[in-house]
Amino acid sequence: MEEYHRHCDEVGFNAEEAHNIVKEFSPGKSHPRESLSQQRETLVQAGAFHWFGWRGKEKLKPKFNTFGRLPNEMLEQWLSPTNQCVDGVLGGEDYNHNNINQWTASIVEQSLTHLVKLGKAYKYIVTCAVVQKSAYGFHTASSCFWDTTSDGTCTVRWENRTMNCIVNVFAIAIVL
Amino acid sequence: MARSLGVLVALPFPLPVGFNAEEAHNIVKECVDGVLGGEDYNHNNINQWTASIVEQSLTHLVKLGKAYKYIVTCAVVQKSAYGFHTASSCFWDTTSDGTCTVRWENRTMNCIVNVFAIAIVL
Repeated sequence: MEEYHRHCDEVGFNAEEAHNIVKEFSPGKSHPRESLSQQRETLVQAGAFHWFGWRGKEKLKPKFNTFGRLPNEMLEQWLSPTNQCVDGVLGGEDYNHNNINQWTASIVEQSLTHLVKLGKAYKYIVTCAVVQKSAYGFHTASSCFWDTTSDGTCTVRWENRTMNCIVNVFAIAIVL
Repeated sequence: MARSLGVLVALPFPLPVGFNAEEAHNIVKECVDGVLGGEDYNHNNINQWTASIVEQSLTHLVKLGKAYKYIVTCAVVQKSAYGFHTASSCFWDTTSDGTCTVRWENRTMNCIVNVFAIAIVL
């Protein structure tokens, strides 16, 4: 009986390579035109595949889905409760230093409650930033290290005459 | 005749025993110091700076080799008389997951970096 022989000497999940791969090939990012075989070669060299099979008949199987993302339907179902919460709390209000504490707290708590009520097996992180409208600069960025096939994020941008509000929802699947 | 089969499994990483916020705090602070230290707020570079902060922080956190999924968010605001407020709320397992926030400022800008760590359960 032929022995099962593994080519790649992986000793566990290589997070850094995976991180670079996902960063490089995440959807929405434009890269220079490469032929499919060239792209495949880059991925193989970066270690994105498992080798498996009997000797002489090895096949490639992706380690994880580098091009996967959550379907739009799933992202949408997080968007509308969050949007409604922000409208409910900030709608019709002007920026007010005394109330802002309360408002941001309400936004995150209500959004979280609605998301949990969806009853899906997800852990949620909701962050909210409110900035008074001005000529001054404001910039946010986020980066995530997770399972791209099951975890996802959505962002709600809301504004009125006196303030801008950005709400981020991060959802991590609970694996049972 | 009964035989017992003993199996020793070596995991490549230690099982999480709660998130070490202090370690994460130091890592992130170093990243922010490295990127923004000595710089003034500049609209042209801010894009690059925030991206570097989140990417470098994430890389260093992942290098710790712990079984965590990480989310790093960064907000940079130009210093002004105008108001800026952030809040966050999490629905997770309080025994294994955690967060840490780093607040950094200099003469021209304020920077807030949040790290959220979710334990990977096998």
